[in-house]
Parts: sequence; C-alpha cells; structure tokens
Amino acid sequence: MNFKAQLRIVISEFQKSIKIWLAYPILLVFWVIAPLMWLLPFIFQGKALVGGMHSEAFKNLTGSPNYLPFVLIGAMVSTYIFSGLWGVGNSLREETYWGTLEYIIASPASPILVLLGKTLAEFLYASVNVGLQALLATLFLGLNLTITKILPVLVIVLLLVIGFYGFAIAFAGLTLLIKEAHGWVHTIEWVFYLFSPIRYPVEVSPITKTLSALIPLTYALVAIRTIILLNKNLGDLHKIIFILLIMDIVLLLGGYIIFRLSERRTKVAGTLGQY
Amino acid sequence: MGYAIEVNNVIKKFKRGSGLKKREIVAVNNATFEINEGEIFGLLGPNGAGKTTLVRCIATLLIPDSGTIKIMGKDVLKYPLFCRRQIGLLTSGERTLYWKLSAKDNLKFFAALYGLDKKETEKRIDYLMELLGLKEVQNERVEKYSSGMKQKVSLARALIHDPKVLLLDEPTLGLDPQFARFLRDFIKNVLNRQERKTILLTTHYMDEADELCSRIAFINQGRIVDCKTPEEYKRDLPHSEVLEIKTTLITNAKELEENLSKIPTIEKVNITTQNTITHFKIILPRAEQVLSDVISEVQKYAKILAIDVNEPTLEDVFIYITGRRLTEDTKEELELE
Repeated sequence: MNFKAQLRIVISEFQKSIKIWLAYPILLVFWVIAPLMWLLPFIFQGKALVGGMHSEAFKNLTGSPNYLPFVLIGAMVSTYIFSGLWGVGNSLREETYWGTLEYIIASPASPILVLLGKTLAEFLYASVNVGLQALLATLFLGLNLTITKILPVLVIVLLLVIGFYGFAIAFAGLTLLIKEAHGWVHTIEWVFYLFSPIRYPVEVSPITKTLSALIPLTYALVAIRTIILLNKNLGDLHKIIFILLIMDIVLLLGGYIIFRLSERRTKVAGTLGQY
Repeated sequence: MGYAIEVNNVIKKFKRGSGLKKREIVAVNNATFEINEGEIFGLLGPNGAGKTTLVRCIATLLIPDSGTIKIMGKDVLKYPLFCRRQIGLLTSGERTLYWKLSAKDNLKFFAALYGLDKKETEKRIDYLMELLGLKEVQNERVEKYSSGMKQKVSLARALIHDPKVLLLDEPTLGLDPQFARFLRDFIKNVLNRQERKTILLTTHYMDEADELCSRIAFINQGRIVDCKTPEEYKRDLPHSEVLEIKTTLITNAKELEENLSKIPTIEKVNITTQNTITHFKIILPRAEQVLSDVISEVQKYAKILAIDVNEPTLEDVFIYITGRRLTEDTKEELELE
C-alpha cells in the first residue's frame, strides 16, 4: 500500500470518528462542560483552605502564589491526556462492541494507521475542548493567556501528546488481551492525578516528587506553567524539551511493539472478537 | 485452473479455564482440503464443530498451531497483506457495522482500508448499492435498516474491493426465510455464476449446502470427516431409507437406542430429545421389513406420536458418518488431557 493509500486510511478513520461523535450531540456538550465542573470544587476548596486564591505556602513550592491559574492549566492539559486515554486506549474495545474490529484486522490496513486516525480525531476533539476552556478561563477566571504564549504552549502540548498517544496505542493493544478497559483507564487516571502536578505541586511529598519524574505530563505541565505564569520562552526550557523528546521516542517505539505483540498474542489465543 | 484456497494439516487448539482447571480444546484437528477457483465449497457441520475457527484461520484472524493455509497460492502467514486483499469476509449477526453511519459511509471507510482511491470507491459503492437494491437508502443510518438490509450492507462491504475469494460464515443465520432465499440466489447466480468468485460457505443448514455447493466437507469435532459432491454423499447410502419416529414420555433412551441397533439391517440410530419430545432417525435399507419390530421395541419405552419413512438427505448422510445431527451443539468432547 503506497503512502497516499495509507494517508487515506488515517483520514477515513478520522472522518468516521468525527461522524460517530456528531451522532451524539449531548455527549459533546457534556465533555465541553465536564472539565470545568471537575475544576470548580478545587477552586472552592482552595478558597476555603487559604481564604483566597493566593498562598505563601503555595508560592514556596511553585514560585507563584496564585493557585487558580495553576489548577486551570493542570485541568486543560490533562484533558488532552484523559481524552486520549479514553478515546484511543479504549477505541479497540469500542470496535469490539460494534462488531467491526475483526473486519479491520482482516483488512490489509495496518491497525496502527486506524489508531493514528483515531488519535488525530481525539487531538482535534481535545483541542476544541481545551480551546473553549481556555477562552472561559481567560474571560471569567483571569488566566493570562496571550497570543505570544499560545505558540510555545502548543509546541509543549504536541511533544506531550505524541509520546502519550504512543502509550495509548500500547494500551489499546493490551485491551485486546485483557478485554477490560474502564477499570484500567480509571487506575491510570488516578496514578496521573496522584503523581503528576495536575491539581497540586508534587513537591508536597518526596514520594510524589520522585515518581512524577517518570511521567511526561509532569515535564509538560512544569513547562507550560513556566511559559504562562513565569513569562519564560521555549529557549529557557531546552532541558525539558529534550526529556520530552526522548520520552516520545521511547513511548512511540514501545507503544508500537506492545501493540504488535498484543495483536499477535490475541490471534494465537483466539480472543480477537471476544467481549 | 489452480486452487483458490489450500488448507493443509491445520491444527488449532485453545486454552480454556485457569489454574488447575486449565485444559486444551482442539477446535480444528488436522484439517486438509482444497477449493478450486470459481467453486462454491461448503463446510457443513454442527455448532462448535470448528467451521468458524477454520474460516478465521483462513481470514488471518487466527494463527494456527500448525499446518499451512494458502490463498491463490500464497501462504497466509508469510503474505498476509496479499491474502487479505483476495478475501472478502461475511459473518452472521447484525452487529458488524457502524450503526451511527450510513451504508455509504460504512463502505467508504472499508474501501479505504483496502486501498481503494476515491474514484474506485464511488464506482464500487454505486455498483453494489444498485446490485443489492440499497440505492434509495444508502445515505440513511444503518441503525434504521432491517436485519436483512444490514446483512446486504455487510455483503457489500465484503465485496467492496472486488475480492477473488469470499468467506461466508453462516451468512443466512437468523435471517427471515424470504431474505435467506434472496441471499442464496444472490450467492449462486450473481457472485458465483456471473462474477466467478470462489466461495467458502460454512453452514449447518443442509438444504443450503445441498443447493449451493459443488463440493461439501463434513466437519465434526474439528475433523474433516469426508469431502465429496452432494450427489456422491447421497450415493453413499444406496437403496437406503430413513425411518423417523416421534415419541413422548420416554423412559430409557439409551437402552432403547441399544436395542434398536441390534435389530437386523438397521445401520444407524440417532436420538434427539427436545423438551418432552424424542425424535428417532433410523437409517436402514428397507423400513417396511423391520417396521413392526421397531414399533414394538419403541412402545416398550415410549409413546409413539408419529412415524414417517423418507429418502435420505445430506443430514442423514452426516448422521450415518458421524452419528450426530447437524443441529446438535458440540460440547467438551474435543478436550485433550
């Protein structure tokens, strides 16, 4: 299959995913509102604990006294991660429920290309979601997000999601074997919530600080907060960018290998189309 | 003309259970057969006999433990992409399509998976929608279609890349008789006669296999037990008749089966019980000769509701060879130690 035909597979999957989403308009509205609804309890909690949005203790840990932008950025960036985990990681389970997985695997198309199409659709979906959140956060919650900061932030987001989608592809492969995704996705979500600085600085505990170094989301969040809150540029973040690049390569390669091994093992075990 | 499909000594085992209860099931046991180009070949056997496992091995959805499978002369494990391009797959069941998409969008997606460009895709979709009578509804979501229409879209999907080989796994299962009739005619007249497709059809409907297939392989407990034309199978029971007895209130079916088997000239006895009704199929040269002996024996154990004498069908041949009916489910007889 030539490059053009492979590209057509990716685009076709992208179009298919978007069309299926659009068939559930209420769900779309829910996913736009949901991240803000998750966020509000933490804002109120912060207000109740420190009497406002500024805290000296918080400043000692992060360099910025302002709790609200910290949490807003954490919520927005994690939207990319969690929608990717649900959308890509869980996608082959969905194909199994639809009864279409075997027809994809029986075709000459690489399932990796199909997953790539799903990845692009998820990225678009998450970007629309995060764009709306950013707009609301800028207009109503005082987040200082100027045009000059958006481009470097997008570079970091791209570096984050490339590697993360490698992880999601591996997870998609593993779901072919374990036949269960929801429990695992929830577990991974909580590992990320606990060991990366989505809602709080990981420096609060030596354990979270140490383990957070293994998660790419930690580096991406530190970089994005540095750009938005401390007005730094990409040049100041070359070390983080290098780490993210290395993690991307490892996760993409690892994701591909794990997917292929899982697919083969499923074909040997005869459990491909099983629920 | 060469072989479109060659299956050689294929064995497929599955592990079932866990821990100490872990055991191995032989789903396909040393299967060997060849299918000529342009032939409709039937794989006939009861549920759980290994038909679907074999089809899935041929379609590259399963990796056999040993043996080889070739499509148009090429090994499916060594040349999977080539082989997948030659194959169109159709299985039973409604849930094989994207219900939230239209028939056209479903076909567009699968056309892309087979490497068709935009022009070819449009051409094939137009042709297939016209051929299957779906032109008017092709832009409506599949969820609005009847079961038969959904199966037509699934068939169009199997044909979208114009494959040389079609794997039809129980294609009429669960369909209403009218649509099953349409599908059988379509398979025979359009797909095979007009388009010269090679077709592997799995079924447990003997009439379907008898009507459509030029050759049939009987599969039982994972083994191919015989492979012949339907006429040759029927010739295997020369001058035979099938005595069918419907009974109720049976006391000891096993003992009765043993006693009936001892009656001279009786070649095979098969008993199936559903709810309170027990059916006997007795294969023998002339029913008239032993009818009174059979009736008096059956009356010792059960109340007779009906008696009939018929010509042998393919199912009777299957019973004659395997001792089992096509409608029986295969259970755990395939277990290995």
